[in-house]
Amino acid sequence: MLKKDLILRNPLRLLGQEDQYILPEGGIGAVLARAGVGKTALMVQLALDTLLREKNVLHVSLDDPVDKVSLWHKEVFHNMAEQYNLPQINQLWDSILPKRFIMTFKVDGFSVPKLEERLRDLTEQNIFTPQMIIVDGFPFDDTALEPLQQLREFSNRHGLRIWFSVRTHRHEAPGPDGIPPQLSNMDNLFNVILQLQPEGKKVHVKVLRGVDAEKDYPELMLDPATMLISRND
Amino acid sequence: MEKDLSQVRNIGISAHIDSGKTTLTERILYYTDRIHTIHDVKGKDGVGATMDSMELERERGITIASAATYCEWRDHQVNIIDTPGHVDFTIEVERSLRVLDGAILVLCSVGGVQSQSITVDMQMKRYKVPCIAFINKCDRSGANPFRVIQQLKDKLGHNAVAMQMPIGLEADLEGVVDLVTMQAVYFDGENGEVMRTEEIPDALRDEAESLREKLIDAASMYSDDLMEAALEGEVTPELLTEALRIGTLERNITPVFMGSAYKNKGVQPLLDAVTNLLPCPADVENQALDMNADEAPVILSSDAGKSPVALAFKLEDGQYGQLTYIRVYQGSISKADTIVNARTGKKVKVGRLARMHADQMEDIDSISAGYIGALFGIDCASGDTFTDRNSRLSMTSMYVPEPVISLAIAPRDNKSQNNMSKALNRFTKEDPTFRTYVNQETGDTIISGMGELHLEVYIERMRREYGADVETGMPRVAYRETITQKAEFNYTHKKQTGGAGQFGRVAGYMEPAEGDEFEFVNKVTGGSIPTQFIAACEKGFKGCLAKGPKMEFPVTGIRIVIDDGASHAVDSSEMAFQAAARGAFLEGYARAKAVIHEPIMKVVVESPTEFQGAVMGSLNQRRGIILGSQDEVTMCVIESQVPLSEMFGYSTVLRSATQGKAQFTMEFNAYRQVPQSIAEDLLKKAQEGKKNVA
Repeated sequence: MLKKDLILRNPLRLLGQEDQYILPEGGIGAVLARAGVGKTALMVQLALDTLLREKNVLHVSLDDPVDKVSLWHKEVFHNMAEQYNLPQINQLWDSILPKRFIMTFKVDGFSVPKLEERLRDLTEQNIFTPQMIIVDGFPFDDTALEPLQQLREFSNRHGLRIWFSVRTHRHEAPGPDGIPPQLSNMDNLFNVILQLQPEGKKVHVKVLRGVDAEKDYPELMLDPATMLISRND
Repeated sequence: MEKDLSQVRNIGISAHIDSGKTTLTERILYYTDRIHTIHDVKGKDGVGATMDSMELERERGITIASAATYCEWRDHQVNIIDTPGHVDFTIEVERSLRVLDGAILVLCSVGGVQSQSITVDMQMKRYKVPCIAFINKCDRSGANPFRVIQQLKDKLGHNAVAMQMPIGLEADLEGVVDLVTMQAVYFDGENGEVMRTEEIPDALRDEAESLREKLIDAASMYSDDLMEAALEGEVTPELLTEALRIGTLERNITPVFMGSAYKNKGVQPLLDAVTNLLPCPADVENQALDMNADEAPVILSSDAGKSPVALAFKLEDGQYGQLTYIRVYQGSISKADTIVNARTGKKVKVGRLARMHADQMEDIDSISAGYIGALFGIDCASGDTFTDRNSRLSMTSMYVPEPVISLAIAPRDNKSQNNMSKALNRFTKEDPTFRTYVNQETGDTIISGMGELHLEVYIERMRREYGADVETGMPRVAYRETITQKAEFNYTHKKQTGGAGQFGRVAGYMEPAEGDEFEFVNKVTGGSIPTQFIAACEKGFKGCLAKGPKMEFPVTGIRIVIDDGASHAVDSSEMAFQAAARGAFLEGYARAKAVIHEPIMKVVVESPTEFQGAVMGSLNQRRGIILGSQDEVTMCVIESQVPLSEMFGYSTVLRSATQGKAQFTMEFNAYRQVPQSIAEDLLKKAQEGKKNVA
């Protein structure tokens, strides 16, 4: 009941398809924003939404230690629960905890084969099999194309949904479709691209590329105080 | 001779297990002429390090009780508390930090910031203890002090700045470059006692310049003078040190030193830093609570003329009776003074005072504010405050966690029986996380504490120090009961069996409450339960909490609201309402879907990456939730939450799964509901246990 409430009230589902997932199975998506605008907050909400649907989420962070990532999840979850005034949130939190796994790597030490090897450790022993992966802090530089293609294949092979955070820079002008230059040679790999755009005191969530190009997506905002997504009405 | 207070340092040395803090302390004592030979922790000479005075400590190569010692360095008196690194003994660490003014955080140049470093760091934060860091073991292969500095920033959030850079690393470690004086420092002589300063080698000069710039940048935030001097390019070592000291005292900056205690490199500059950068007792503001003024906080001053305030932070059983380590915060305590224990109100006369050096001592006449010393033959508990007859001040109480594991013990013979009770009496006074009681039903003596090793060490100490040979039962986990839904009750207690009758009706509801608390809410209106019986109702309910109706575990997290009832002019009494409350509790509890909660431990395993799968498997088999894994190139850190009941004997399992290359730490995290199948097993066991008793 509680879970259902949180799932139904999540504004992110407005961006979703019929099954209310934003990404199709095997698809990959990106959340673009400049530093400090709220990429991780949005990604964590995508993760929590999936966790509440009782699906397993692997959060891969190339920047932060496990404790910090865990704290992100806890904070956003508590903010969500507080916003909807939900009782017994601790029990709900305890119930989703086993469905989440955090892996952190040093940026230099990260590679797709290594990730696959770590995942094998988990899946072969039936400890954890992810259905969605969040990759935070992946460096979108000259060397990014190959690992990204590998991850796309990996996602296809296992029917996963993978989200990436992409840090954009103020001094780099985006292309006509709003795609930043660092994604220009690989943007065809992404099914969905969301952008966080600060305007005044508000942060708008813009759909640069959606699963359904025809769809008229509702306007969503990220509240800088709670870091939660809400409808702009 | 006592020094001027500005020349006194009370410091602790805290670190993860095996980071080499006892070795470091040993070297400090050697260079300050307190000892004349060096004994290694697990040395071949069999003497063991000076600070590890307990036989058991020497045997296991770990430090259990924190021994206090003092030494002198460049006209400063340095009191050192050697703190244990194992999580099971954190109460010792916490107590030490409470009485210290500054600390050295020792880190391993290979292992970096490890799980216990994080725990220790949190404790330092709690007690606002300024610290400097020492990156030890720079001679080991894989040493990388700058990676550790980065970890200090990333993992602990310290504004860590390098004060030195190594000259050579691993087997080629020769010395360090001092970035304040811009000199190369080498350590000659058989035990590194001769410091030789030279020009910085050309190959290192550029890197040293750039590191010094970073150091000046960081330090100039705390001194305008330094900022100006930096702009004019005239930074003097004194100016830089002064700015660093300000930053360190405010905990805004963590100066990082490096070397290898075992190879006798880098210890003397660290001692210089203790005197130059860490606070003296007068730099630290200490508070006490005034018991005569509703516990209003009082700032203590180190003025020797004021009423004395001293905290007993550690007890030991010595050959002359109880030895009480104290830190004096205000005034002074002298031989033949009469002091008052603020907790018990008992007056005691100070007989003998001493200054401690591990297990040896030196008699002294008085201890002044800011100093650490020991009292003889005074009966008190750890954490007690001593004052004089004029004031009733108490030092703020220390945070004491609840024990999570218990064990039944029984003496093997009559002699052991006596010795065991002596030992238990002593240990419970020394360590507030170690408790003991007698189970009324089984008659067993139960000891409880913070982990398996914690209890093992006390059993071992009973054997060695008190000659008490005891048998131990299976460790028992401290389960709890709680309710999961709201339930109403309406119970009438009526008895008429000749003589005065008993009558009381109590109605209301019980519901789950957040946290461990029991909450009692009185919403009775119109006097349906007369006011004088409300307290009896509360007492009746409270009486039911110690042993829950489901499985006789303590009941926690429950709110009881009474809103109606009835009384009888003649037959109602306190006893009748207590009985009615007990009946009401049982009635409501049966409907409130009670569940069993078990302690869940945060278990952090550090292992070489090749064993990651095996380690995760071992945690998973123990009903553990693996929160995540952190890849640190060759090592990985796995964080998990595992029920305590599944952790018995885990160290052996981990050792065999990882060829002894992994280590783990464990601390209490939270209470969580036991899965249904396990709860049924527990119920079965409890019923069998009852049958056996019957």
